[in-house]
Amino acid sequence: MSIIRVSRASIGLALGLSAVSGAAYAQDCTTKIGAVLPTSVDWGRPIAETAQFAVDQVNAAGGAAGCQIEMVLRDTQVDPKVGVDAAKALVDLEGVKVLLGAVSSGVSMPILTSVTVPSGVMQMSCCSSSTAFTGLSEEGKTNGLWYRTFATTGVQSAVGAKVAADKGYKSIAILYKNDDWGQDMARLIAADFAAVGVEVTASVAINDAQPNYRAEVTDALSGQPEALYLALYPAEGTAAVREWLSLGGTQNMILANSLKSDEFRDNVGLQYLGSALGTDTASPRSESADAFRAAYQERFEAEPNGPGLANSYDAAMLALLAMEAAGKDASGADVAAAMSRVTDPAGTPVSADTAGFVAAKEVLAGGGTVMFQGATGDVRFDENGDVSAPAVIWSFSESGTEEIEYIPLSDVDAFIASLK
Amino acid sequence: MIQHLLDGILTGSYLSLGAIGLTLVMHILRFANFSHAELLSLGAYAALVCDALVSGLAPFLAVKLAPLSLTGSLILAILVSMVLTGLSALLIDRLVFKRVREKGQELSMVFASFGMALIMRNVIGLIFGLSPELYSRDIAFATVLSRDPLILIKPDQVFVLGAALLLMFALHLVLSRTTFGYALRAVAENPSLAQVNGVNLQRTIMAVWLIGGGLAAVAGVFYGISHQLIPVMGRDLVLPIFAATIVGGIGSVYGAVLGGFIVGIAGNLALLILPSGYTPSVPFLMILAVLMIRPHGLFGEARA
Repeated sequence: MSIIRVSRASIGLALGLSAVSGAAYAQDCTTKIGAVLPTSVDWGRPIAETAQFAVDQVNAAGGAAGCQIEMVLRDTQVDPKVGVDAAKALVDLEGVKVLLGAVSSGVSMPILTSVTVPSGVMQMSCCSSSTAFTGLSEEGKTNGLWYRTFATTGVQSAVGAKVAADKGYKSIAILYKNDDWGQDMARLIAADFAAVGVEVTASVAINDAQPNYRAEVTDALSGQPEALYLALYPAEGTAAVREWLSLGGTQNMILANSLKSDEFRDNVGLQYLGSALGTDTASPRSESADAFRAAYQERFEAEPNGPGLANSYDAAMLALLAMEAAGKDASGADVAAAMSRVTDPAGTPVSADTAGFVAAKEVLAGGGTVMFQGATGDVRFDENGDVSAPAVIWSFSESGTEEIEYIPLSDVDAFIASLK
Repeated sequence: MIQHLLDGILTGSYLSLGAIGLTLVMHILRFANFSHAELLSLGAYAALVCDALVSGLAPFLAVKLAPLSLTGSLILAILVSMVLTGLSALLIDRLVFKRVREKGQELSMVFASFGMALIMRNVIGLIFGLSPELYSRDIAFATVLSRDPLILIKPDQVFVLGAALLLMFALHLVLSRTTFGYALRAVAENPSLAQVNGVNLQRTIMAVWLIGGGLAAVAGVFYGISHQLIPVMGRDLVLPIFAATIVGGIGSVYGAVLGGFIVGIAGNLALLILPSGYTPSVPFLMILAVLMIRPHGLFGEARA
C-alpha cells in the first residue's frame, strides 16, 4: 500500500511540474461514472455538457484515482420512472460507483431511495433544492451517500429571518402558497423567525384560484403583527397584499424571490412597497466564480446563464476530486466519505480547472486536504450533504428591483449556524 | 368572529347577484349553465373598457366619489356593461344554446355551457392578458369601526352591499307586481301551458337572459371593485355561485339571495374551524349537505 502511495505521489509531482502544459499521461485504465440528467429538455443539455466539461478537464490532468474518466450519460426526460431505470442501468450494468444527477427533486428522490442508497453508490445532484432530502438524511436514510451543489430553500428562509431581525420586527405573520414549495418555506421560516426571536402571530395558507382572500388576510391580521412575510406567487400575492393593505395591514413586508416580478410591483403599487424587502439566493462574487465564467465562455462561446450550470460543474468536479481522494477501486461509500477531504475549510485552496486538479492530486497524495474553490464559490457541505449559497436582499424600484445588500457565502453560513 | 361575519355578508352580496341570474336560467331553461360565471368576467371587463372610454371622453367624471374608490365614469360604465352583457348572453343563447336546446337533450346543454365557458374565458385572456387588472390602482383603505375587537370595513363594500340589495328589491317588485313577472313564473312552471295562455315564450326567454346577464355584469364589477379582475375569475367564482343557487333552491330568487349570503358567510367563518389550506372545500361541503338534507334547497320546490 505504501509503495502505491509513493508511486502515486511521484506521478502527482511529475504532473504538478507539467501542469502548465496540461499534458495528459497515457493510462491503460478507464473508470466510468454515471450521469442521469434531463438531456431531452432544452435547459437540461447544457447542464450535461458542463458536467462533461469538468470531466474533460480532469482527464487532461491525468484522470482521477489513476484512471481516465468516462462519463456515461443517460436521459431522465424529467420523469421519475425513466430516471430510476436509467440510474439502475448505470449502476447494475455499467458498474458506476458515482452517479451525477438528477435535476428535479422529484426525480432525484426515487433514484436516491431505490437505486443509489441500496447499491451503496454516491449520488451528487447539481440542482435539486427540496428540503425533503435534508429530512431523509436527518433520519439516517441516505447513508451519507447524498450530496448536492444547489442551495436548499433553507438559505432563503434564513435570510428572511435575518431581514426581520435586522429591521427589529418583534412579530410577524406568514402568508404562504399552499403547495410543496410554500409549505416547505412556511415551515422553515417559522422556525427561523423563532430562532431570531421574532414572534410568528399567524401562518396562513393561501390556495390559488380562490375568488378572494379576505378571510385568510383577516386571520393573519388578527394578531396585529409588525410585519408580514410572503411566500406567494404574483397572482395570488397581488390579491392578498392589496387586501392586506386595504385592511390597514403594515407595509413592512418581507418577500420571497417568487414575488420579484414587475407584475406584482405594478398591481400592488410601488407607493405601497417602499418598506418591502425581498430575499433571493445569488451567484457568488468570487474570483473562482469569475474564472469559471471565463473558462465556460472559452469552451462554449456563450455565457453560463442557464440554470444550474455552475452547480453542475462543481458537482462533477467535486465527485471526481472525492474519487481521487478515495483512491483506486474505492466503493461509493469510500468516495462519499472522502468528500470531507476535498471540501475542508482548512485545506489547501485549489482552483476549478485542470491545474487545480493537478495541484489537488498532489496534496491529496501527500495525505493532506484541499478546499475546492468552485464555480459556486467555496463549496462546503453540511452533515446532510447540503450546501449554502450567497444571498441578496432587494427592494422594488422605479425600474424593477434593486439590490440592497449582498450577503457573501461565509456570512450566510455564519448566520444559518447562529440559528441552530 | 364579527369581522368574519361582516366580510361574509359583503362577499355574499356579489355572490347573490350572480346566483339570481343562474337560478332564473336554471329554472326557466332547465339546464345547469356552467358558463354563467363567465358572464361576470365579461361584464367586469366590459366595464373596464367602458370606464377607460368614458374617463377619456369626459375627464370630469373620472374623479373619485370620496370616500369610495368608485368614479362617476365607472358607474356609467356599469350601466353600459349591464346592457352589453345582457345582449351578449342573448347572443350566446341565439348562437349556441338555442340550437342545442332544439336538437339535443339536457345533458348536451350542460356540455355546451362548459364549452362556452372555456371559450369565453380564453377569449378574455387573449384580449386582456392573463395578469390581473384593476379599476383603480389606488388601494381603498378600510375604515376602523371598532378597535376592540378590531372591526374594519371598506366604504366600497358598503356601497356594493347597498347597491346589491337595491337591485334585488327592484327585481322583487318586478317579479311580484308586474304582468311580466307572472309570465316569467308561468313559463317556469309549465312552458306549454304558459304559451297556450298567451305568454310569448321566446320573449320571456330573452328577458331571462337579459336580466341574468345584467345582474351578472353588476356582480362581476362589484367583485372587481372589491378584489381584482383576472380572466380566470369566472372559474374561481363558478363554484360559490352554484353553491349559492343550490343552497337557496333552484328557481327561487329569494333563495339565491339568501344562498349567496350563506355561502359568503360560511366561506369566511370556515377559517375559524378549518385550517386555511382546506377552505376551498367549503362550497363542495355545502352543496353535499344541502343535497343530502334538503335536496331541493331552502326555498326550492320539487317539480315533476
